[in-house]
Amino acid sequence: MSMKHLLPAALALTGAAIAIPAHAGKTLDAVKARGQLVCGVNTSGPGFSAADSQGKWTGLDVDFCRAVAAAVLSDASKVKFVPLNSQQRFASLQAGEIDVLSRNSTWTLTRDASLGVVFTGINYFDGQGFMVPKKLKIDSAKKMNGATVCVQAGTTSEKNVADYFGAHNMKYKSVVFDTAEAITSAFFSGRCQVYTTDMSDLAGARTKAPKPDDYVILPEVISKEPLGPSVRRGDDEWFQIVRWAGFAMLEAEENGLTQANVDQQKSGSKDPGVQRLLGVTEDTGKLLGLDKEWAYRIVKQVGNYGESFERNLGPKTPIGLPRGVNNLWTKGGLMYAPPIR
Amino acid sequence: MSRASPAPIGDAAWRARQRARRLREWALQGALALVLLALAIGFARNIAANLEARQIKSGFDFLHDPAGFNIGELLFEYTSSDSYLRAFAVGMSNTLRVALAGIVLASVLGVVVGLMRLSRHPLLSWLGAAYVEIYRNTPLVIQLLAIYLLVTELLPEAASAISIDGIALLSKEGLQIAVPQSGLFALGCALGALVIGGAAAWLIARRWLEVGAGLIGAAVGVLAALIAWLLAGVARGWSQPALDGFLISGGASLTPEFLALWLGLSLFTSASIAELVRAGVQAVPVGQWHAALALGLRRSQAMGGVIFPQALRLTIPPLASQYMNLIKNSSLAVVIGYPDLVSIANTSINQNGQALEVIVIIMAVYLSLNLVVAVIMSAINARVTRAPR
Repeated sequence: MSMKHLLPAALALTGAAIAIPAHAGKTLDAVKARGQLVCGVNTSGPGFSAADSQGKWTGLDVDFCRAVAAAVLSDASKVKFVPLNSQQRFASLQAGEIDVLSRNSTWTLTRDASLGVVFTGINYFDGQGFMVPKKLKIDSAKKMNGATVCVQAGTTSEKNVADYFGAHNMKYKSVVFDTAEAITSAFFSGRCQVYTTDMSDLAGARTKAPKPDDYVILPEVISKEPLGPSVRRGDDEWFQIVRWAGFAMLEAEENGLTQANVDQQKSGSKDPGVQRLLGVTEDTGKLLGLDKEWAYRIVKQVGNYGESFERNLGPKTPIGLPRGVNNLWTKGGLMYAPPIR
Repeated sequence: MSRASPAPIGDAAWRARQRARRLREWALQGALALVLLALAIGFARNIAANLEARQIKSGFDFLHDPAGFNIGELLFEYTSSDSYLRAFAVGMSNTLRVALAGIVLASVLGVVVGLMRLSRHPLLSWLGAAYVEIYRNTPLVIQLLAIYLLVTELLPEAASAISIDGIALLSKEGLQIAVPQSGLFALGCALGALVIGGAAAWLIARRWLEVGAGLIGAAVGVLAALIAWLLAGVARGWSQPALDGFLISGGASLTPEFLALWLGLSLFTSASIAELVRAGVQAVPVGQWHAALALGLRRSQAMGGVIFPQALRLTIPPLASQYMNLIKNSSLAVVIGYPDLVSIANTSINQNGQALEVIVIIMAVYLSLNLVVAVIMSAINARVTRAPR
């Protein structure tokens, strides 16, 4: 067995075998003492988390880690990114190797209730789709009967595709690889007619094709994939911090606060909502075990949710995803943060 | 432990000292066993308590839940609504299939290359050496990826598959071969021919030959089985591979993943086996060669009848560990998408999150497979070493 496969097992074993009782509030203290947030991210998910040639991480999930670091450690750069494949991710969080898992993971009942982890929110509403070569002239997922489908091991996609083909009485052959790189290489070489995963991943993978225009993403979305960060169970205070760091990014966008104008708004805005969020009037941070300016720092150092989206996934990036359902509720989307007050 | 001998040895004091020594040894071993047992129990209880404290689900109940995912290669029927237990059985059957095929091919290649290296012909021996050095000295994962890449990049798409007279089709879908239409009937014919032909050949050969009748029986049996299988195809018609929509249907198929893994494992292991064969042959005292040649045997006869049987004795114990390595290395399947036990287990861990239980299952399966190999190989070893000298 290769090291790669042993790692999740080893993590699970050590995590389970060494007696570390789950004390509430410990994670915040540990992060502060360490002076660094350890954040589990995708090994290679363009737009969500990817390292460039200089080793600098970018992506929507990466920005989320930075937002938590900005709130907790006052410095968005104090994050250690741990790239994890889909099999390692939850074992790594369970074992305490990482503080937050921000790795485009789907929030499901089974994961929330039986893995010893809790999802803190949703930072991207996704759905599973299909990509096919244009030359096959398939315009609908219902015309894929008998196709060979490339799919990544250990994802919700494996189950969804079985359900979808079963429900439509179609047959397929699956070829399962354990990394996104292996799948894209097999798919682009023609081993499979269909590549299935979350729509956002398909858009990212398409940019890596030798000729992106030779491939088309089918319109059907066959599942709900609410992607979000998660934390270990049993530390409610840490859970609240991570959850509200996400909400603060949404609240900032709703209030029109951006990286560029946040300083000016902090001193000049008369809006009580803005003043409260930026810690001018009330100290919302105290309730979370943080300081007054926690949300201000998130906006100043990382930006609001919309800025992060446009920077990493939006129409101006190679991935070029429309905002769609990930727009604010005020603009017809699903992104809605409870009030920060 | 010393074995009790029938007649008392030594004086009473000596025997008393012996008894005391044995008692001390037993007590020490017993104490050690108890400590190990206590450690194991403590470890297991600690794991259970920690899983409980972290609210992580545990236990093996999940094995009866529906697995919910599909598997690309099946030796028996399986659908996504079948249980995890059945999914693991599929994974294990795929592991066994590639391991068995790999052991056969690696042994054949290993013996051939090993004998090539020993050849007095410089080109043959040089080729053998090059083969061994290349396949033994590069990482298996890289070899697998390279073979898989070659298969998927170079072969044509299903629509323009390389056809060998409609008997076989080679494409990115893998290798499809025409097989007799009624598979069970053909299999029955082949099995019958194997038993009858093999037994008949063995009985006849036994009259003429001192040794090697078994080998001849086996060879004739396999040949008879092949002929019977082909005749069954002629009698009842063939199932030929042909393009059907996206895919090739009909015939029997070997996927590119299976082909790449099978070839990769066989080539890699055969290089080590070749070295074992060479070492075994060279370890036979040179006097045996001289004696055989002095008797008037040709070099090939001396090798086949005198040297090789003796070399076999030296080769079998290390050969067993090569076979075990091959079985364990088959777990690299996941890098090229072959659904072996580890690949299925990885998927299961992700669907239900019960890493600990699934890893225990993987370890138990590999341990039992290798114990079976150990038992078979030591039986063969015992037989070979008992052979008349």
